[in-house]
Amino acid sequence: MSSKKWLVTFFATLALLGGGVLAFNFLTDPFGVFPGALWEWPSYEMTLNPRSAKVSYIQEHHQEYDSYIIGCSSTSSYPTEQLNEYFDASFYNMFMYGADMLDVEQIATYLIENYTVKNLVVGVYIDNAITYDTLPDERSFAIQPAVTGEDPVDFYSRFLFMDPRHGLDKLEAMGENTYAAQAFDVFDPDTGAYDKKERDAEFIGGLEDYLAAYPAFAAYPEGYRIMDEGAVAGTLESLARMRDLCGERGINLLVVCAPVYHEYMAYFDWAQVEDFYTRLAQVTPYWDFSLSSVSFDPRYFYDETHFRNCVGEMALARIFGDGGVYVPEDFGAYVTADNVSQHLEEMAAARPMEEGAYTAVVPVLMYHDVAEEGDPSVTVSPERLEEHLAALKGAGYTAVTLEELSAYVEEGAPLPEKPVVITFDDGYLSNYQYAWPLLQKYGMPATIFAIGINVGQTERYKDTVHPITPRFSYEQGAEMVASGLVSVQSHTYDMHQWAAFEEGQARENILRWEGEPEEAYREVLARDCQTLREEFTAGFGEEKVNALAFPSGQWDQLAQVVLLENGFDITFTTQPGDNTLVRGMSQSLLGLDRYTVGEDTTGEALLALVANARG
Amino acid sequence: MAFTSLAFLALVGAALAVYSLAPRRLRWGVLLLASLTFYWLGGRWTVGYVFYTAGTVYLSGLALGRLNRLRREAPPEERKAVAARCKKQRRLVVLWACLLNFGLLYFLKYWNFTAEMLQPLLDRLGAGGQLPVSHLLLPLGISFFMFQSVGYVIDVYRDKYPPERNFGKLLLFVSFFPQVVQGPISRYDQLAPQLYQGRDLDWDQLKYGIQLALWGYFKKLVIADRAAVLVETVMGDPWSYGGAVQAAGVFFYCIQLYGDFSGGIDITRGVAQMFGIQMAENFRRPLFSTSLTDFWRRWHITLGAWMRDYLFYPMSLSKPLGRLGKWTRRHIGGTLGKIIPTSLATFSIYFVIGIWHGANWRYIAYGFWNGALITLALLMAPWFAAWKRALRIDDRAAWYKVFQVLRTCFLVFLGRYLTRAPRLLTALWMIKETFLHPQLSDLWNGTMLTLGLTGFDIGVILAGMAVVVAVEWYQERGGQVRLTLERQSFFVQWLAIAVPLAVLFCLGILRGEYISSGFIYQQF
Repeated sequence: MSSKKWLVTFFATLALLGGGVLAFNFLTDPFGVFPGALWEWPSYEMTLNPRSAKVSYIQEHHQEYDSYIIGCSSTSSYPTEQLNEYFDASFYNMFMYGADMLDVEQIATYLIENYTVKNLVVGVYIDNAITYDTLPDERSFAIQPAVTGEDPVDFYSRFLFMDPRHGLDKLEAMGENTYAAQAFDVFDPDTGAYDKKERDAEFIGGLEDYLAAYPAFAAYPEGYRIMDEGAVAGTLESLARMRDLCGERGINLLVVCAPVYHEYMAYFDWAQVEDFYTRLAQVTPYWDFSLSSVSFDPRYFYDETHFRNCVGEMALARIFGDGGVYVPEDFGAYVTADNVSQHLEEMAAARPMEEGAYTAVVPVLMYHDVAEEGDPSVTVSPERLEEHLAALKGAGYTAVTLEELSAYVEEGAPLPEKPVVITFDDGYLSNYQYAWPLLQKYGMPATIFAIGINVGQTERYKDTVHPITPRFSYEQGAEMVASGLVSVQSHTYDMHQWAAFEEGQARENILRWEGEPEEAYREVLARDCQTLREEFTAGFGEEKVNALAFPSGQWDQLAQVVLLENGFDITFTTQPGDNTLVRGMSQSLLGLDRYTVGEDTTGEALLALVANARG
Repeated sequence: MAFTSLAFLALVGAALAVYSLAPRRLRWGVLLLASLTFYWLGGRWTVGYVFYTAGTVYLSGLALGRLNRLRREAPPEERKAVAARCKKQRRLVVLWACLLNFGLLYFLKYWNFTAEMLQPLLDRLGAGGQLPVSHLLLPLGISFFMFQSVGYVIDVYRDKYPPERNFGKLLLFVSFFPQVVQGPISRYDQLAPQLYQGRDLDWDQLKYGIQLALWGYFKKLVIADRAAVLVETVMGDPWSYGGAVQAAGVFFYCIQLYGDFSGGIDITRGVAQMFGIQMAENFRRPLFSTSLTDFWRRWHITLGAWMRDYLFYPMSLSKPLGRLGKWTRRHIGGTLGKIIPTSLATFSIYFVIGIWHGANWRYIAYGFWNGALITLALLMAPWFAAWKRALRIDDRAAWYKVFQVLRTCFLVFLGRYLTRAPRLLTALWMIKETFLHPQLSDLWNGTMLTLGLTGFDIGVILAGMAVVVAVEWYQERGGQVRLTLERQSFFVQWLAIAVPLAVLFCLGILRGEYISSGFIYQQF
């Protein structure tokens, strides 16, 4: 071909290739810098670049929010639901991983100048005294020119002319997306917070178990951090500018210093810490949660620089004086220029609380049918049951209800000295006939986990010809509930089926079938929860249906997540073992272990079991 | 301004457009403007150094031109006396031009190194005080444009051509933008006429220019910048690796350096060709060198040629060396006596080439290594010839050529330890490790994949180099790639556009979080 033709072909091919890449990058927009991409997936985009993707998200959704909380990643843990309730507002969490105060200021200023902002909560973290204006030149940290005033051609060309594999990765991840957060979609775009639904469904109890699960805390490395005067000055200047801007615009500004794990805090030189907090108080009053007894218990932390959502709840409850929520006395103080030195003295004196002051060990007993005959490991005769109750009473144990457990954890209410929880699984008629009278006789409350669909069935399993051990009816259950001694809770409505007697694939337990689409499974489990709650509320007169014993003791993380979403915040396994309840940590009510007791277990053996549980 | 930036492409595009629209006699002005813009965007006020060099050589040139004319135009009877007088003055002018330029170069590039060496000496002598240290930025490509400019002065001194009277035009010669930062070191009589001619743009030249630049971008972006990652990992901390991995680091450095430097030169020559300007060749398939001398005839050709014309010849023909030659012939005799002066000159040249690369013991050692090997080869040539005869080795046999090429590659490879290791002693230690403690299993036990590159990336580098070697082999055998391509069907020709572009896009320009690094040779 002639040179002229060659040149035309060359430039046409170049334009085609370049244009193709450009269009692909624009349409996939993996970093979320262009609002309204074809394959929009805010959670993914926020994970790749929280700064830009959140700004893009707010550009499209700003009318849904009127208040913002903003800071580095620990700021994720102040739940927006609670903020909304306390402020009577609609919050969005604009936190960014690796944020310094300049990022915070730039984005806060952008929001204030462009959208409605009634309240602004700014999270300050001790690392703000180390870094300021350290935006690495990477796509994951870039902020739109609309916010920073950067040259738009420079900025957008970095995202238009980038490796299309970023976009391909996004399309590939779409195929692998699951309900649970994965490494590529760790954000909840509706709230802006990290998607911690799985982390918040972890079973947490004894400290030793926690250290085994989070070994980083067990052997916390030695280290040090040196505050940087430039960073301190920059942070304080940014805060001062935000304070002034909020003042001018009549925006309610709340500055909160996040809790820090004590060993990380020890990395800092105390004189520098004092200097930073003192100067901070001169700029603005703030709520300080940095160092308290909470900082000493690793269970309150995901890792050393990220406290758990439950801690965020306690912090907000402290700020808003919510007496209904447990908050340790030394947790949080309102600091002003006047009281900062006194506050720092108190902070320096922060010590861990006695374990017994905020944790309790509670054994749980698991019974099934009460009958003269049957498998002696799980079935118990009325006589043996009575022997058990008498032994417990004699040894000074007090049976407690699940509500009392909740109150201990959520509100910090006291528990009796030797608490024990009595449970019965499946909802047998014998529970009504034999157990209830005995419970009444000894004045001991118990919880029955009944299978919803079997309630009242005395002869046959569902509509088959197969015989069933008789179950109590709604009337009988209601009678027990009305006595105040018995609570009937969930053993699922119909997810504890007998495979042999079901047509098609049976739901023998609460787990997802292999290959079952997640969406369908979640719907099934949600519907089961809902049906059971409706039936039990109506049929038994149960006020609160929020506890569930896993059928066959089987569970997994997804099941627990869906249960939590459907209001089941106390769950039980069939594993024998200790249960440590931790105040302020609702997760300690999940996956409670139970000791299986039956005819085999003598009164003495039972006492040995529960004594063991007490350690 | 990096050749790999969009801004550079935009500048080239804009310059081409304005150049083609401008009247012919103003076109050199367009090139000058583009060149100053290029330098300004890359080095801001260091553009002053370019003016400084252009100014000194411009004035020296004028002075030399006047003296040459005086000598030429003197009446026959006075010619001898005038020539003698002029000779002294002409030498003085050249000396000043060299001093003003190399003096500055020395101050900017080598003074700190000297001070560092002298300080302990001063301290020991109890002189006290601190030698001042320069904090000035090294201007981009200063070694290149200064050598090129001094070459111009020497040529005018030699009356090879008359001096340039238009300062702007001379400034363009010094600062021509595709070449100013990394050469090739051009000759005035070869380059300047093309710069000032203002040729019309030509489809053929545009096409060839683009093709050459694409080839350069391929070598730079796909091969060299990838290899750089591994090289930096190994050379940043060679102590953490066994000898074999260190050798791999040096091997990839050889690839990186060749891809980077020759790629950059191809871009330079390609861009110049788009304007219809043919620049001197700087690389002639150095991978196929059969000896170290041959290597230096094929690698960084314009530097070698500069050294030859402006240093080696004058030195060889100088009186002291002439006297030495006489002495050695008389007292030593034979071949040895004949070649000692040449060897001395050769050795000095490589020593200077070493230092030209930078102020560091490593580069001095590098010059020494090359100089010593080449001198040794010169001295031992009669023995080699005798051995070959004794062993009945046929010089023209293919296997012998392969042996020679591999031997040369190996010697060059060893030399690269010196230029890339963090310190000279480390380089020597690394060579020792490579041969004494190689830990060969590191090459396949996964260690290679911990050096910042994936297996895919390493594959891309090796495949890329295979393409380079194949193309060069084809050229070495007399094949002409462009002409061969032009004879193909439209589809094949289109593929030859689309595939390289796609490769460049996907494996070069758009590589992940990759941030294009500057060309290595800019700092020399």
